[in-house]
Amino acid sequence: MFSNFDFSVIAASLPYLFGQGMVFTLTLTALAATGGIVFGTGLAMMRLSGIPGVTQAAKLYVELMRSLPLVLVIFWFYFLVPYIGAWVTGSATPIQVGAFASALVTFTLFEAAYFAEIMRAGIQSIAKGQSAAASALGMSYWQTMRLVVLPQALRNMLPLLLTQTIVLFQDTSLVYVLSLTDFMGAASKVAQRDGRLVEMYLFAALVYFAVCFTASWLVRRLQTRVAIIR
Amino acid sequence: MTSTPMPAPAAGTPTANASEAPADEGLRAGPLVTPAPAPATAGSMIAIEGVSKWYGDFKVLTGCSTRVARGEVVVVCGPSGSGKSTLIKCVNALEPFQEGQITVDGTRVKDRGTNLPKLRARVGMVFQHFELFPHLSITDNLTIAQRKVLGRSGEDARKRGLDLLDRVGLSAHAKKFPGQLSGGQQQRVAIARALAMNPVVMLFDEPTSALDPEMVGEVLDVMVELARDGMTMMVVTHEMGFARKVADRVIFMDRGEIVEDATKDAFFGQPRSERAQQFLSKILAH
Amino acid sequence: MNYTWNWGIFLEPSPEGVGTYADMLLSGLSWTIATALCSWVIAFGLGSVIGVLRTLPSKTANAVGTAYVELFRNVPLLVQMFLWYFVLPEVLPTEIGTAVKQLPDAPFYTAVLCLGFFTASRVAEQVRAGIQSLPRGQRLAGTALGFTVAQTYRYVLLPNAYRIILPPLTSEFLNNLKNTSVALTIGLLELTARARSMQEFSFQVFEAFTAATILYVLINLVVIAGATLLERAVAVPGGR
Repeated sequence: MFSNFDFSVIAASLPYLFGQGMVFTLTLTALAATGGIVFGTGLAMMRLSGIPGVTQAAKLYVELMRSLPLVLVIFWFYFLVPYIGAWVTGSATPIQVGAFASALVTFTLFEAAYFAEIMRAGIQSIAKGQSAAASALGMSYWQTMRLVVLPQALRNMLPLLLTQTIVLFQDTSLVYVLSLTDFMGAASKVAQRDGRLVEMYLFAALVYFAVCFTASWLVRRLQTRVAIIR
Repeated sequence: MTSTPMPAPAAGTPTANASEAPADEGLRAGPLVTPAPAPATAGSMIAIEGVSKWYGDFKVLTGCSTRVARGEVVVVCGPSGSGKSTLIKCVNALEPFQEGQITVDGTRVKDRGTNLPKLRARVGMVFQHFELFPHLSITDNLTIAQRKVLGRSGEDARKRGLDLLDRVGLSAHAKKFPGQLSGGQQQRVAIARALAMNPVVMLFDEPTSALDPEMVGEVLDVMVELARDGMTMMVVTHEMGFARKVADRVIFMDRGEIVEDATKDAFFGQPRSERAQQFLSKILAH
Repeated sequence: MNYTWNWGIFLEPSPEGVGTYADMLLSGLSWTIATALCSWVIAFGLGSVIGVLRTLPSKTANAVGTAYVELFRNVPLLVQMFLWYFVLPEVLPTEIGTAVKQLPDAPFYTAVLCLGFFTASRVAEQVRAGIQSLPRGQRLAGTALGFTVAQTYRYVLLPNAYRIILPPLTSEFLNNLKNTSVALTIGLLELTARARSMQEFSFQVFEAFTAATILYVLINLVVIAGATLLERAVAVPGGR
């Protein structure tokens, strides 16, 4: 079936695929995950704060992001970021920030909405009885949070946060629509240059599968380790 | 398909219950079941012979053997984890077992040729947590298996189901859903659901353990009624009052073994094993 | 900011020759909805089968179900889209491959298949979780009444499981809808693609994207309202 396919094209392009493409993908994933978790924590705390206005603002942001396709958000920020940059710096013309910076901003802001939901659910999943028990022992609000609620919530959330990061890793392939050279972008460029679509896309699928499957397997192992027995 | 010696009850089989009974409320409206017919084949309704079962390396049943005669009521008791629930679930093959054989009304449970759904349709079972189907109305709970398993017409199934619902005193609740009934009421519906299939034997797996204390009585009343009507029953329960009232025999299990298998009077009079004595003193102490 | 807003742009004729920019976006919206609905049919049907496989008392069935879910969950959707669109016709026998490539609306059929199979793996996980969340006694009770395995699923387990997983299934439906935008990479002229081409032709970036955003938010609201009605319609009296 594969007799007229030439898989040597893969070997020839390995340095480009990994040295450039995969490095880009991993960098974008790591930075956006970090930024997303930080901003997501902020959003979750805003949503749980109970302060009128703040709660609603965070909710609106999260719901809006979650109702839009990532591709549309990528386009939005690609065109919006230069204007935001101009506004921040007081420049009269849109600032050219580059596609990577634009992608990083996009993924950070987009994934933050998803991370925030995981955090919120994680904190709310700790039964009210636990807070009540801690209060009954004389703990203050912050002691209750720090000593009782968060340690349990974090254990519950950690696997979900990591799984969401794997999703983010897969989602970064969509920077293809900005013609960036992430792993998929690199594979696609080689594929089109050499006319080897079958070989390159199959190889890309295989690499993504290997990475994500291994990572999810590690997350599952971690999950059984940190799980709290009830 | 026809490996069972007795034909499955066909739609419209005349029984005492299917006849036009007065539509009185209450438990005493009439017999819950047809008294068992004379044995078609010699021997017991249930014969358990040398049954052993493992979960992986863990042995949960060890060489269990006993018989339940037609019309007999046998109570199975023992501490939790003794294997009594597992044993009763082996009778209708809800739990597979590795060694031994169980024969129900002439049909071997562990036999490649046995049509298990057909066998199970003739063995009624009542569960600890009722297990009514929450998405179906009480009427549908009573009729769905009659229609889909026995192939009865909707009208026949409905008639039989509502008749039995009446016998357990709940005909006012026919249109409700399980979540709208109390635990005791749900368990009575569950008994009616099992009886609607015209079973030749009824298995009860701790039918009152999940009930609030004030609801235990109404369920036991139905079971006592059923026993007095001559139904063959195997009952896993801690209700020793029930055992004293209607049991013919009591089986005591511990650590997967049948430790004691005696008539009611012998068991309550003087259990032979020390383990059974201890169990009885604990359970009767409070 | 020196951006010139022009909200009247939607009423101006699009460079396609027929209709306005608004018509262009609405045509994109209808492709988005058509793709989402058609792929959901596959996703729901296939996902239910795979989810059931993972709960059957058979090692082979479990393995098949697990393999499917792992395969479709661990490859990015974009890559799957390319596999269906560029790779599949090449590895099929030549005549079939050529026929597939010449199919009118090939991006639509490809997107429907790709999203259907992709979302099926997510539906399968929900169905499995729903079935496994039911008390074990429900299966036993069905079995004890003489139901076959298929009957137990049909009459007892699935009706209850679907009710439980209705909220997460709604999310998956919305995810599937949003994921249709990935099909713009294979040339499907869905909503995001149309907003993008409107931006390219008219240079009114933010009007185009704002309109698309509002349309997506509206579909989300409609779907959520529909799901709420459905939940109410199938709610069991006295249920949780």
